[in-house]
Amino acid sequence: MISPKLFLALGAVVVVTACGEKPQAVAVKPGQSAAKPDDKPYQNEQFKGDRAAWERTLRARADNQNEYKRVN
Amino acid sequence: MARMKFICDAERCIECNGCVTACKNEHDVPWGVNRRRVVTLNDGIVGAERSISVACMHCSDAPCKAVCPVNCFYTTDDGVVLHDKDLCIGCGYCFYACPFGAPQFPQAGAFGLRGKMDKCTFCAGGPEKDTSKAETEKYGRNRLAEGKLPACAEMCSTKALLAGDGDVLSDIYRERVMRRGRGGDLWGHATAYGVKASSSPAPVQPAPTQQKS
Repeated sequence: MISPKLFLALGAVVVVTACGEKPQAVAVKPGQSAAKPDDKPYQNEQFKGDRAAWERTLRARADNQNEYKRVN
Repeated sequence: MARMKFICDAERCIECNGCVTACKNEHDVPWGVNRRRVVTLNDGIVGAERSISVACMHCSDAPCKAVCPVNCFYTTDDGVVLHDKDLCIGCGYCFYACPFGAPQFPQAGAFGLRGKMDKCTFCAGGPEKDTSKAETEKYGRNRLAEGKLPACAEMCSTKALLAGDGDVLSDIYRERVMRRGRGGDLWGHATAYGVKASSSPAPVQPAPTQQKS
């Protein structure tokens, strides 16, 4: 025979068990990315934060794909 | 700069798979994962066979981004769609949403357990310190931070696959069309970037087969 005190104590344990559970859901806000912030591709030793220089370099390489300009 | 784009000129692609090899080699992509692949349509039909190099097109309104339950995708200032592998749960929703079949899933265990999604990064790495070891291991080499374009396009021998700023690519493609006198099929361009061609390209007709006498 279980004593009423023990019964109440066990009951309390069962009831409040969920209170110790940590939330497992990812904080997702609709329309907002949850990804870590990324570095800008021009913030490095080569370009030293100069976006214009980076764009010029990429543009020159992209132009190089045009063989009409490259050959003629 | 407008935004980064890929263009595949089906009139020029010779199905050499140089782009696939370049990508695999550049990023040390594991077996079973193909960030880029070459698809051939109308295979064997004379005059109608076309090959296209396909990977993530970095869509303007990326459907993968819309369906991701953990919002791990983001678009950079230059229009490159990237994702955070630390958040990805490998659910595969992005694979079903993508019209190009770009998201790839490495096998992470027995019974076909999917690992974290892997896809073309436009050689721009991911949300780790640029050109760091962590970035290279998770996402591959960051060529954009080195002032270089994606390896697949730079390796393309016929320059069928073009990568870079959309305005520059448009100029290159326009010149090609003017010189050869006809418009090619810019496959996937409208789907990815939402730009409708002024007139839809005429369907490719197979050449008349020669009958043996």
